[in-house]
Amino acid sequence: MNNMPAILVLAPLLGALFAGLAAWIQKQLSYYIALTAMAVSCFAAVSVLKDVVEAGTMQYRMAGWAPPMGIELKIDLLNAMVLVLISAIAFLNLVASVKSVEQEIPDRAPSFYVMYLLFVVGLLGVSATGDLFNLYVLIEITSLTSYTLIALGDKDRGHLAALNYIFIGVIGASFYLLGVGYLYITTGSLNMADVAVILKGIQGSSAVLTAFILCILGVWIKMALFPLHVWLPNAYSFAPVGFARVVAPLMTKVMVYVMIRLMVTVFGLDYILDTLHLADAVVWLAVTAILAGAFMALSQTDLKKMLAYIIVCEIGYMVGGAWLGNDLGMTGAILHILNDALMTFALFLAVGNIIYMRKQVAFSNLPGLFSAMPWTMAGFVLAGLSIIGVPPTCGFFSKWYLVLGAFEAGAYHFAAALIISSLVCAVLFFKVFEICFFASAPGDPDHHVAGSPQPIHYIHAAGHDRAGGDSGAGTHPPAGVMAEAPVSMLAALGLVSIAIIAAGVYAGTIVNTIILPFLQ
Amino acid sequence: MKFIGTVIVCLTGGLLLYGTMDLPDWGDPGSPASTHLSDYYIEHIMEQTQVPNLVTAVLADYRGYDTMFETAVVFCAGLACFLLLRDFRPKKDRYFRHVPTGVMLHFKNPDTRMIADNEFEHMDKDWVPSDMIIKTVCRILIPFIQIYALYVVAHGDFSPGGGFQGGVIFGSSLILMAISYNLKTLVKRVTEKFLSIFAALGVLIYVGLGVGAMVMGGHFLDYGMLAPLLPSDPGHIRALGMLGVEIGVGIAVMAVMVIIYVNIVSEGRHDEGL
Repeated sequence: MNNMPAILVLAPLLGALFAGLAAWIQKQLSYYIALTAMAVSCFAAVSVLKDVVEAGTMQYRMAGWAPPMGIELKIDLLNAMVLVLISAIAFLNLVASVKSVEQEIPDRAPSFYVMYLLFVVGLLGVSATGDLFNLYVLIEITSLTSYTLIALGDKDRGHLAALNYIFIGVIGASFYLLGVGYLYITTGSLNMADVAVILKGIQGSSAVLTAFILCILGVWIKMALFPLHVWLPNAYSFAPVGFARVVAPLMTKVMVYVMIRLMVTVFGLDYILDTLHLADAVVWLAVTAILAGAFMALSQTDLKKMLAYIIVCEIGYMVGGAWLGNDLGMTGAILHILNDALMTFALFLAVGNIIYMRKQVAFSNLPGLFSAMPWTMAGFVLAGLSIIGVPPTCGFFSKWYLVLGAFEAGAYHFAAALIISSLVCAVLFFKVFEICFFASAPGDPDHHVAGSPQPIHYIHAAGHDRAGGDSGAGTHPPAGVMAEAPVSMLAALGLVSIAIIAAGVYAGTIVNTIILPFLQ
Repeated sequence: MKFIGTVIVCLTGGLLLYGTMDLPDWGDPGSPASTHLSDYYIEHIMEQTQVPNLVTAVLADYRGYDTMFETAVVFCAGLACFLLLRDFRPKKDRYFRHVPTGVMLHFKNPDTRMIADNEFEHMDKDWVPSDMIIKTVCRILIPFIQIYALYVVAHGDFSPGGGFQGGVIFGSSLILMAISYNLKTLVKRVTEKFLSIFAALGVLIYVGLGVGAMVMGGHFLDYGMLAPLLPSDPGHIRALGMLGVEIGVGIAVMAVMVIIYVNIVSEGRHDEGL
């Protein structure tokens, strides 16, 4: 019997508990325990992916009970890919974040790592499970940990952002739970495969329709689809760097995975597309999300906020692709889960590096970055090009599938929205590149920057507070002097940059070995 | 804005009402929820697990994986309170009472140290002397509440109860101590270190039993595999496994209850509060 599916979820859970206990012996220990736990989980995820590609879907019976009675973990090609993505990003971020955590939350770093691991446990569990209620329990863990970790961020506005997120997140989770309740009343089962079989016989039922709408709405709120996105920008930009870098690429993508899982495995695509006729409306919603996200990103003057709105825009891509109703669109959406996670992770890694050196990333703080932090900026440029969709990078390929899917479905408005948002992203990123490259550094006598020349006062105060009165907070090194982030941070960024190129070069392989077999 | 809110609320309400149209009748014995899996549980639980309380068997065995994460959620809640509320900075204003005379001292400088610690007790600004009746009654009650909590944990597989309920009762007995005496009394007896270790240990007992089953060659949480380790009737081993995880849950819930209470009432300072 292969225990790897259980180990990949349990390793971070055990790691979290031991890290919590070890903190009473020596504070440094908990970081190393967390690192080991994530490495074990990552290894297990890769081995599961390998087995699933070779031998097909993997089932694991919790407590040994057969599926509809007990809970099962069911890992097919889609989960396996998402699981590897989550564990790898969480592991790399742990390597990259140790210095940021020391800088931002020095007094309670061990608890931060415990919470971080529990968050990852939630994400891995959500992706691995084959049980509808178990999914809810694990969403609860991810939510609770992310509320806490976001509130640990920005001293002035982190709490309010987290409170806002709690209110909206709880509504989303309860919608999902209510939907599961309706499903349980009508089917008597909680196992996804079992529910899917029973639902085939009762597709006309109004209770099933209600269940579907409630589940999907709940997941949309959690993934911040456009009109339900209001919590996301503040929550992600005020979170501590070490956490923002893992929550931004993973949380929304995992929720997109849950949506695709509900659509494909539980309710069935034929029910959604042929019986309900909701697809057109949802694609229009996705178009609005893409355009709104792109244009709101255009009006931001803070790099973190801008990236947060780009996430809102990218969610529109994936939702739209999944609802186009053809294999090409779904392929694009699934491929974009992988690609967007990599690109967002790279962008937030770069932003984290800049914050580590300069404390804040308002546009007025960026000048001179290319000469001061060339390696970080190389990664940032690569990820930016990938978001825009420039060919050798992975972003191009998922957009290509999405556009092809849109043409096949006759959804020209979706294709147009994709192209417009790519242009807007190009404008956005070249604006940032321009400021970083051409605008004169603040140390120069002829210092003038678009936007406010002086950083806003309260961020200064927060910076001082965190760094324990560090005199460097808010001031910049003189122009032309290298002031690069620590090696651990750069190494993670380098690896992700390679992954972005590799995911682009091997896009065909990924589609042929993972996504197409899954869709058949 | 208010108008849009009203419209959304009406739409959601309408959707929920629409959904009820095809629901089975109230208490219908032929409904899917009471025929699909319930029959299996009712017919097989006694022979498979030897636990007379079906709810406990489903909760701690068939769906034990869920319950493990629910315990982790409780642990998370405690940790969240610690992370967000705990305040290690010393308080600026401190008050001391000279016990023999009842004279109050007010320190405005946080660096001042008290020398005669035994004769002075640390207190808060709106301190009132503990009421003797309340103190005495609670002192008598608390041990009984705790025994009852242990009973609820231990009898989870025979009667309503279990780790969550028992843990809450035990935790509330400690909170009662803080309310009837003062927070200092509780914090002195039940330290922060003790509580944090117990919160993690409780979840660890649960996960550990599962991992134990995995090491013995079974699936995760398959208590039947623990039979060679325990000198007991192999048929009864699942009930023992459930008791084990209930104890873990009880410990974690107890510790987290107290952590949440202490952090909230003392604004994270762990010195004075309700």
